[in-house]
Amino acid sequence: MNRIFSLATVVTLAAGSLGAQAQPVAAGAGATLIKNATVLTVTKGTLKNADVLIQNGKIAQVGANIAAPAGATVIDATGKYLMPGIIDPHTHMMSDAINEGSLSVTSMVRIQDILNPTAVNIYRALAGGVTSINILHGSANTIGGQNATVKLKWGESVATMMFPGAPPGIKFALGENVTRKNQNQIIVVGQPTPPRRYPISRMGQEQVLQDAFTRARDYKATLDDYKARVAKGEKNLVAPRRDLELEPLVEVMEGKRLVHAHGYRSDEMLMLLNVAEEFGFKIQTLQHGLEGYKIASEIAKHGAGLSSFADSWSYKIEAYDAIPYNVAILMRRGVNTTINSDSDERVRRLNIDAAKLVRYGGLTEDEALATITINGAQQLGVADKVGSIEVGKDADLGLWNNHPLSVYAAVDKTFIEGKVFFDRQQDLVMRDQKAKERAELEKAEASASTRRGVQPVLPQEER
Amino acid sequence: MIAPFRRMLVGLAAGLCPVPSLTAQLATPRSVPATYAITNARLVPVSSPAIEKGTIVVRDGLIAAIGANVAIPGDARVIDGSGLTVYPGLIDAFGALGVPAASGQPAGGGGRGGGAAAAGGPAATSARGANSNYPVGLQPEVSVVELLRADDDAFSGPTSVGITTALSGTGNGIFQGQSAIINLAGTDANAMVVKAPVAQHIGFTPLRTGGYPNSLMGVFAALRQQFLDAQHYRDVKAAYERNPRGMTRPERDPSLEALLPALARTQPVVMIASTQREIERALDLAKEFGLRAIIAGGSEAPAVAARLKAENVPVLLSLNFPRRAASASADADPEPLRVLRERAEAPKVAAKLAQAGVKFAFQSGGLSTWTDVTGNAQKAIENGLAADVALRAFTLQSAEILGVSDRLGSLEVGKIANLAVTRGDLLDRGRVTQLFIDGRPVAVRLPTVGANAGAPGLTGTWTVTVSLDGSDYATTWSLRQEGTRLLGSIQGSLGPIEIQNGSIGADNELRFSATITLKEGTEEATFIGTLDGNAVRGRLAIVGHTPGTFAGTRPQRAGAPGGGPPAGNTPRTPPGAR
Amino acid sequence: MTRVRLIAAAALAAIVAQPARAQLGSYNPPPGPQKTFAIINARIVPVSGPEIAKGTVVISGGRIQAVGASVAVPTGAEVIDATGLHVYPGMMDAGTSIGLSEISQGANATVDISEVGSFNPNAMAYYGLNPHSAHIGVTRVVGITHVVTRPTGGILSGQAALVNLAGSTAPQMAINRNLALVIELPRSGFGGRGFGGFFAAQQGPANTQEVNRTRERQLDSLRTMLRDAEAYGKALDAYAKDKSLPRPRQDVVLASLVAAVRGQVPVLMVADRASDIKEAVGFAEENKLRPIIVGGRDAWQVASFLKDHDAPVLVTSVLDLPTREDDPYDVNYGAPAKLAQAGVRFAITSGDAGAEARNLPYIAGMAAAFGLSREDALKSVTLWPAQIFGVGDKLGTIEVGKVANLVVTTGDILEAKTDTKFLFIDGRLVPLESKHTDLNNKFKDRP
Repeated sequence: MNRIFSLATVVTLAAGSLGAQAQPVAAGAGATLIKNATVLTVTKGTLKNADVLIQNGKIAQVGANIAAPAGATVIDATGKYLMPGIIDPHTHMMSDAINEGSLSVTSMVRIQDILNPTAVNIYRALAGGVTSINILHGSANTIGGQNATVKLKWGESVATMMFPGAPPGIKFALGENVTRKNQNQIIVVGQPTPPRRYPISRMGQEQVLQDAFTRARDYKATLDDYKARVAKGEKNLVAPRRDLELEPLVEVMEGKRLVHAHGYRSDEMLMLLNVAEEFGFKIQTLQHGLEGYKIASEIAKHGAGLSSFADSWSYKIEAYDAIPYNVAILMRRGVNTTINSDSDERVRRLNIDAAKLVRYGGLTEDEALATITINGAQQLGVADKVGSIEVGKDADLGLWNNHPLSVYAAVDKTFIEGKVFFDRQQDLVMRDQKAKERAELEKAEASASTRRGVQPVLPQEER
Repeated sequence: MIAPFRRMLVGLAAGLCPVPSLTAQLATPRSVPATYAITNARLVPVSSPAIEKGTIVVRDGLIAAIGANVAIPGDARVIDGSGLTVYPGLIDAFGALGVPAASGQPAGGGGRGGGAAAAGGPAATSARGANSNYPVGLQPEVSVVELLRADDDAFSGPTSVGITTALSGTGNGIFQGQSAIINLAGTDANAMVVKAPVAQHIGFTPLRTGGYPNSLMGVFAALRQQFLDAQHYRDVKAAYERNPRGMTRPERDPSLEALLPALARTQPVVMIASTQREIERALDLAKEFGLRAIIAGGSEAPAVAARLKAENVPVLLSLNFPRRAASASADADPEPLRVLRERAEAPKVAAKLAQAGVKFAFQSGGLSTWTDVTGNAQKAIENGLAADVALRAFTLQSAEILGVSDRLGSLEVGKIANLAVTRGDLLDRGRVTQLFIDGRPVAVRLPTVGANAGAPGLTGTWTVTVSLDGSDYATTWSLRQEGTRLLGSIQGSLGPIEIQNGSIGADNELRFSATITLKEGTEEATFIGTLDGNAVRGRLAIVGHTPGTFAGTRPQRAGAPGGGPPAGNTPRTPPGAR
Repeated sequence: MTRVRLIAAAALAAIVAQPARAQLGSYNPPPGPQKTFAIINARIVPVSGPEIAKGTVVISGGRIQAVGASVAVPTGAEVIDATGLHVYPGMMDAGTSIGLSEISQGANATVDISEVGSFNPNAMAYYGLNPHSAHIGVTRVVGITHVVTRPTGGILSGQAALVNLAGSTAPQMAINRNLALVIELPRSGFGGRGFGGFFAAQQGPANTQEVNRTRERQLDSLRTMLRDAEAYGKALDAYAKDKSLPRPRQDVVLASLVAAVRGQVPVLMVADRASDIKEAVGFAEENKLRPIIVGGRDAWQVASFLKDHDAPVLVTSVLDLPTREDDPYDVNYGAPAKLAQAGVRFAITSGDAGAEARNLPYIAGMAAAFGLSREDALKSVTLWPAQIFGVGDKLGTIEVGKVANLVVTTGDILEAKTDTKFLFIDGRLVPLESKHTDLNNKFKDRP
């Protein structure tokens, strides 16, 4: 254990990176009292000069002049703004793979299996006040893989980052990405040319869904039949083969698994809602749904939520009719609507995307904030735990130096369950530490390579 | 250029002659007296304290006697061991020794004889399970013993540093099939085999055919489904055996059949995993199906040490430590701190595992230069690993983990007479002067230059321009090839990215995926290209995008294969300096 | 040897794709006439001087005629009561390719952003510009009144134009059709262009030396072309004075370079990395060009160099993710503040081909959240880009005599919440409608 390593350990702990048993920066598990902030509760209005007490990772008290319990960390937040941690309902962050695009139905694959809890972009999202995300499979196929709802406890294990109690979900996808998939395949000479994958049209997409859920329905019947025979006391039965492809689809039909469906054009989204209704389940969210405004009534009637971009458009044909008024139109029809990033870059400034909705469509500030907090919590089925500043909820919070709907705002601290996972002051200190560590490691490596003279020599024959 | 030609000649000879190697034709092996006594030598039995001056007697392939005062049998051929030390032969706890290298296989990552690399194309094609319902790569019934070849030439490298025994797997696919422990000498493949099958092997690299599974997610789903199917197969078969009447006969499935020993825990499962998350994923899978896991790789195993210990999972620790590559160019991005830390950490891993009470054995990990295998073990010793623990990890502990400590791993009477005779300390710059394998002397030969110290494959720092959607992205790739696996990171205009699911196949075709953030969002790009000396080029595919291209180079250093560590450490040139 | 090829016929697409001007509808309502307007009771942010809490701006004939707290409203003027509203100079996005590329993926026919080959100094954005691009209407309503639009790709990409975002034809929009030459130097280390380009997969073995040789050849070709253009200009001048000289043969390519090699127009040099930036400036100076760096991600690392060489920067990367794992999370957010501190002349731009150019004010705002003063953030999207292109006397502030590009807003123009109430471009009132408002109106009340 030389000095360099111990320094590395210190930095590692501070950064919560590598090594990873790391404790997050500062605060600790004790109580924290945030004093004199402007508290944007999102669900219960804005409180000026208010205090928020965090105990055991939960919001214990919200109000004026809360007394600090003994030993509590007190943060003076005068002039600062406290909002719920931002929730991003659609990302591909920290994923070691995004698409299993080899088949049209890949419901058996799970994002949870391939997460990287040390990815640096997690930290960059924390620095934008984000605390929970929905990590989705990509859009290469009609029925994609199972999603993961995650709290951004950077550097902790995947198991502890998984949002406890979040209902499982699955990604579906429609439109250009699905039908054009094969045109984007790279063919290697010397390998057999893969056949074009079905479907290449929106017609085929509908049939992929029909076929998959028909098979899932049969599978469920087989399972039910087996259970009935067991219940009747039949002996020597062998349980049916477990089918990891169809199991999640059965869960979808049973309402136990949420469908997050990527789609752009209004016609394809409507098709999906119809198929779902035919098989007796609900689409939890339409993802992107940039033309959702064209079928707002139908979406509202089905009861689906929708997660959109604030104003991205025109990057491909199916995004050409996207408008920034989409969210406002849908919200006015009672559709639960959110803003998502789908991007490790945009996730860092969802607050500004939310602010755009005040301009486009005239959302109130609370409505705008809701699209990146409580609405997302509802879409992910975790609104009882996060998404607003209410007593009893998880202390997932962002402390901002300005109103978060202002472009001039930056995050001071981000809390998850009361622990500080981003702290701007700490970050500035870490920069120096990292530079120092780099210099030391480079120096040590240089001196090690000059010691190479003592390398083992090639064995020689002796006679 | 000589090496491939040589290899071709050997291959030719093997193809034409009924016996697998030229030397075997010239020897008359069966009737030679095979009793040897090495006298006056320092003896390191590993299982017991060293004997400063003693004799070891070898008869009929086994150790007949060992001790300070051992009578020398009258028929023994006596070797004066004055000034020499006798060790049990070292065991390379995981590689692909004896598995023929592919023609056109990149020499990188160990080329022939090095780690999993050697199990390239031909091995993969011949390792096709007969009548399997599963694609190549998901055929656990494949057995490495069907592929083995006696190959003196390939063995000269490992034997020159005292390695007499190795665990060999096919090194290919997801279910990589059943491995064998072999002695690195013998007249034919069957004579080499010490034990087979030893373990089922699992790699987590997606299939390269583009078929399912072509992502890491798919790999886990496919593994899971196949294990579930094996359980179901087992149950259906048992039910049928109990009462065949009135029950449809279950169809034979050799691939599922081959998983039953693993599910029954009678066969361990070696899982290739280096980083913390890879190890955790492997352990999760093992737990899910009650497998007896062994981790192979283990560079970040200390971070999972508590769990490894608690779950009694040993590690076949790779001695292929990451090395600094030649810096690419003036404007290459500086290496991530993470990579610097990895390099600084590598020699410390063994000591940490020892301290944490995690069982481990050393493996060559696809290192191309065999002297580095023992050299890096020595580095581990310099970084806090007790010398005797290091030796154990190369011998008895290795044998224990692989289930052959009843016959290998120490100098004990009755065990197989695999000996390394050295002048000096075996792991501390000593020289191997003589080997005994299966009780027969094996001459230490200099490894054929080029056969082992091959080109670095993709290892090194690359400057690559990625062209996509009409824009060029300047990037720096720091790649590391371990066998057929490709690891590393990308920095520059596409953002910092760790590459995923990387592999390199026959004909130098590389592929990997990377999560990149473009203007439209965060996307997964699949890179497929070819390595051509110090150039790479190819294409990248992103769902919803027109395919892009990439091309790049790796600067060569005069007199050294590209990507090797610079003798003098050349820090990156400061930005802007020209 | 394995060769990678493509099933998607990108090559074919490149050949087949004609420089067709896809209309995809025409959503941009034309601006009104150049009348006399008086914007009264407004909070005026002139940028050139202190704010006027309550004042009047008078415009007429396309120019600003009067600004002040106590300015008389001319008779006959159309009066706009801006009580509670702010007046700003229109913003300038100096880093776009607006009008040249409508839908980047899957609609090649709408993309006219690059020409074939490496040397296209005569390709003019002015002639690729689609005045009916829906991007224009969507961009201007946030208060971006004029933009630099430039071709991309190759080594000599073409000529950038400065255009007002109003008008039904390119001539109506153009402020300067030959604003600047665009150069994308082949990169050092590995020259992407020519190697990273489409034929990369078909190329034979390459190594660093070969790559560098190719790059040197490309640079030599570029130098030769620039010298040829110099000589060409000289010969034309000489012939103009002395008709006894042989009449020089006309050459459209060389002709397009003369202004740049004479330093009459600047050269936009695309570079993000510190080494590339220094090389670009060095190359420009060696060849007597006037460089403006476009990109400038790492410009802060070479700030004193840029200041010493008086090379301005159009920063396109404020919102880029840090490109290196160990970069501070705010390395790009905070870069403009560092440039300002070092005294480097710069402008903040969207760096977007078109659709997302409207984020410009928020990008500047983000820079202000990370160290740039709010005043400088505003200047970086108004006055400074105008000055960099030598039109600081015409654009970028609310001063008498300047082009009447003005925005009347509900608040701070850099804030995302702020809405635009009135928009003037070239002294014309521009309707605040766009493809987006059009679709909104069509569907918002659909039952």
